Amino acid sequence: MSITRRVFLRDSALAAVGTAALPVFLRRAAFGAEQTAKTRRLVVIFQRGAADGLNIVVPHGEPAYYAMRPSINIPRNAVLDLDGFFGLHPAMPAFEPLWKQRHLAIVHAAGSPDPTRSHFDAQNFMESGTPGVKATDDGWLNRALHAAPADNSAFRAIALGPSLPRILSGSEPAVAMNNINDFGVGGRNPNAAPIANTFEAMYAHSVDSVLHGTGQETFEAVKMLKSADPSKYTPAPDADYPGGRFADSLKQLAQLIKANLGVQVAFADIGGWDHHVNEGSTQGQIANILHDFSQSLTAFWTDLGDLAEDTVVVTMSEFGRTARENGNRGTDHGHANVMFVMGGPVKGGKVYGRWPGLDPSQLYEGRDLALTTDFRQVLGEAVSRHLGNKSLDQVFPGFENQPGKFLQLLG
Amino acid sequence: MGFARRKLGLVLALSLLGLALAAPFALGKKKEKQNSAGQMDEQKRALHALNRLTFGPRAGDVERVTATGVDRWIDEQLHPEKINDSALDTRLAPLRTLRMDTREIVENFPPPQLIKAVEQGKQSLPSDPVKRAVYQDQIERMQEKQDRKQEAASADPPAADAGKNKLTDEERARRREDRLYADLKAQELLDMPPDQRMKEILKMSPEDRRALTASLKGAKRDEFIEGMTPQQRETLMALDHPQLVVPLELMQAKLLRGTYSQRQLQEVMTDFWFNHFNVFIGKGADRYLITSYERDVIRPHAMGKFEDLLVATAQSPAMLFYLDNWLSVGPNSDIANGVPRSANKAWRKRSNQKNASTKQSKGKRSGLNENYGRELMELHTLGVNGGYTQSDVTEVARVFTGWTLKQPRQGGDFTFEERMHEPGDKTVLGHRIKPAGEKEGLEVLHLLAHNPSTARFISTKLAMRFVSDNPPPALVDRMSQTFLKKDGDIREVLKTLFQSPEFWSPEAYRAKVKTPLEFVVSALRASDAEITDAAPIARQLQAMGMPLYGMQPPTGYSMKAETWVNSSALLGRMNFALALTAGKLKGVQVASDRVLGAASPPPDPQLTLALLENNLLAGGVSRQTHDTIAAQLKDPKISGRQLDDPARPPNVAVIAGLILGSPEFQRR
Repeated sequence: MSITRRVFLRDSALAAVGTAALPVFLRRAAFGAEQTAKTRRLVVIFQRGAADGLNIVVPHGEPAYYAMRPSINIPRNAVLDLDGFFGLHPAMPAFEPLWKQRHLAIVHAAGSPDPTRSHFDAQNFMESGTPGVKATDDGWLNRALHAAPADNSAFRAIALGPSLPRILSGSEPAVAMNNINDFGVGGRNPNAAPIANTFEAMYAHSVDSVLHGTGQETFEAVKMLKSADPSKYTPAPDADYPGGRFADSLKQLAQLIKANLGVQVAFADIGGWDHHVNEGSTQGQIANILHDFSQSLTAFWTDLGDLAEDTVVVTMSEFGRTARENGNRGTDHGHANVMFVMGGPVKGGKVYGRWPGLDPSQLYEGRDLALTTDFRQVLGEAVSRHLGNKSLDQVFPGFENQPGKFLQLLG
Repeated sequence: MGFARRKLGLVLALSLLGLALAAPFALGKKKEKQNSAGQMDEQKRALHALNRLTFGPRAGDVERVTATGVDRWIDEQLHPEKINDSALDTRLAPLRTLRMDTREIVENFPPPQLIKAVEQGKQSLPSDPVKRAVYQDQIERMQEKQDRKQEAASADPPAADAGKNKLTDEERARRREDRLYADLKAQELLDMPPDQRMKEILKMSPEDRRALTASLKGAKRDEFIEGMTPQQRETLMALDHPQLVVPLELMQAKLLRGTYSQRQLQEVMTDFWFNHFNVFIGKGADRYLITSYERDVIRPHAMGKFEDLLVATAQSPAMLFYLDNWLSVGPNSDIANGVPRSANKAWRKRSNQKNASTKQSKGKRSGLNENYGRELMELHTLGVNGGYTQSDVTEVARVFTGWTLKQPRQGGDFTFEERMHEPGDKTVLGHRIKPAGEKEGLEVLHLLAHNPSTARFISTKLAMRFVSDNPPPALVDRMSQTFLKKDGDIREVLKTLFQSPEFWSPEAYRAKVKTPLEFVVSALRASDAEITDAAPIARQLQAMGMPLYGMQPPTGYSMKAETWVNSSALLGRMNFALALTAGKLKGVQVASDRVLGAASPPPDPQLTLALLENNLLAGGVSRQTHDTIAAQLKDPKISGRQLDDPARPPNVAVIAGLILGSPEFQRR
């Protein structure tokens, strides 16, 4: 456990070139970027509703934190200490092993620089990747594929949910999937097969280029899904998914990845963070959702097994919450927040970003955690160094995003 | 009319019988030839016009429009007030909230704030028995919730774990008993005639009634409301969830209008302008404000003058609330300065001098909100590249300070509040706006409504709706000129559009991919569906990513193909088509004789296919699609034939579903 999987990979893979019996990911690593690029994937998680970053990664070394949150703070002796200053909320023990193995990094005081405190504007901006510009009609995760190494898989970009979220909308084909079992014509009814075949032939022969193309992708995806039969990729025995929609999304995503369907970017979201009233501290609303959140992600990581080496997961939320608790033992809409970055190439076990402090004079507009890292710096690094798309000016237009500004989160 | 269509279908079927299977492709080929000549024949013109000016042709519409004459029919559609729409009115009649003003809506379907006020005795219970029951049940519900919260809070410390479990056990036992009682009560009520059933419900105690309404779900609910009048059903829903009634009736109305209105162009334009001046039903008070917004602001101006529409939206409670302008306070206004309402001039002068040095310590509500100012220019008028700056945004926001609402959560109207208004000159787009209170806003709206950038932006969007995703610039130019020359008269701009060669060009034919709303409603129209409850259809639209009134950002829904063509969307459409024609969609009936336009399908499945192609796609089916379906007709699962039952007629539902899910039907 003290040797991280990543270190093991680096040291032994190079020594073992040519050994056919090696696991696939080791061979890829040994043979260089050309082959690994194809399977590298970025998973983006959105915490909708504005998560309270200060009670998730707790600055327990800040006396001001305790002064401003008399009833909802996480006591020093309850946090899962990370580095003597920050600590995880006690409902997140699932993250501790990942942190210790240095597969989990944290970026604090991060987010969108736009001052809006409107949920929908702020979500919109973080999905379009252009804070302050509402006219952008596609999402950055879709644009991230423009210059990324091509792959013809129908599952190159996937969102778990009923419709394609803004972050994945745009000119690159992307699949929205609510439920693996419903993805097809006529559901699971075996009598529907000839109907599905008829639709497929209709779209395959169509001279309508747009519908022909998407139709082909669709039926390719349906067929790929059928032949890959993700149902046989049951969760790894030690992948302990909790119940709920978020865990279900990640479980299905792991199935798709394990079924080798060529997923390059993926998106899932988890709602229920808008705790204006009775947020709770070590127990209560926030504890419940954090357990769900961290346990699901850890189960996903475990479930992926070796494939986790080529995977980077980034989490984000539209903005943070007020540094002070309000009159209802909750928090109101704030500004900067915390992001988690998890994955094989992540240089984890460290809290990145400059900590702006919680002294009243250090707060944004006198009330919120100030922002020191633009979310696009974190995502830009993942897009550029992990996905291999160097044209960041197109992924995040209007934002200076040179490699020199990266936090160097990825090794 | 139904008879005529059926007769026509029969004639067609008989004529095809002679031509056997070669007929449809021959027709297809003939059309392709005419295409390349650059002209549409009259039938194709009718189909094209129907596809663009309506939510999709119904069977027989092409013949009707051809008989009227395409140009004359377009002219009729441009004057909706002359079109009789009484059949639709009958269908809308049960949806009472459509005719209520906002105050009545709030009173009948109270929001939590109002319930609270009554609970705390700040307001009295209504005397009307139905309203009274609604309030009582909601108070009961609120108290139940508070009780539960308190119980949870007292059981929160981990030490109290044992007690917590005991409590839940007790609670569980009580709930089981409640449910049992509610079930018995429901059964007892079910044996009564609907009228008496409702009377009994109103007589129950709020506690028992809540248990009853909460227990009514699924099939049990369907059985319970069977035979009730629409108003009784509405009351039942209001007792359970008063806040759901208003949005649900709005959504139902939108689908009914799209499907059944004779004033199709007016509905298309209402949808267009609502989307252009988008507001979101999920944002607070907007749940109650949108009924009036669509009815009083959007629809009456849909083909009028743009400036009138713009002013109406600017002063609508729905928009003022949605884009936060009602909260926008001038930093130097009386309210921000803490000037009392009765202050005289001398006080004002003294106070201004004093305040100049202590600006930081002013009142809390001194914020300028730029949200509306920005969207007004970016999305409503000039367009994002329309030539305005950040300074213009701030200045426009200053102009509109004081445009606010009287108590928005209680249905408050627009009002101009001088004390919130920022004093002094403003400069917008290089024009000096002199201090004139509310009139400053009207001056800015006038300026924006007549700006060439606005003319171009609006014309481009209209051309995108009616012609193609990337409309020809020359057409947009001519439409913009009409817009400027005719004082922003929308009807005139549409005339320029409908009379343009670009609109009628072969490139424009079926160039638009339907949005989910257009797809769903066009399928309902084509299949002559009978909607008894539109709510399940509204849910389908939500699953397709286009919830009605549910677009959060002010941009509105995209009209472009790329947004709506994706894998899950296509599968969603195919599955919708199959479910609709197979009668598996709740609240909608599709009768096979009406889809077919004949009492029973011809025994030859190929003929059935030809009939359905004619009815659902006005014959405009590609050779590829026709061949594919025709080839599959041999499969008994599609033709409906069984080896042991050769006389069984072809499966109309499946063939119709295949046509509605075909590539051709995804376009208009």
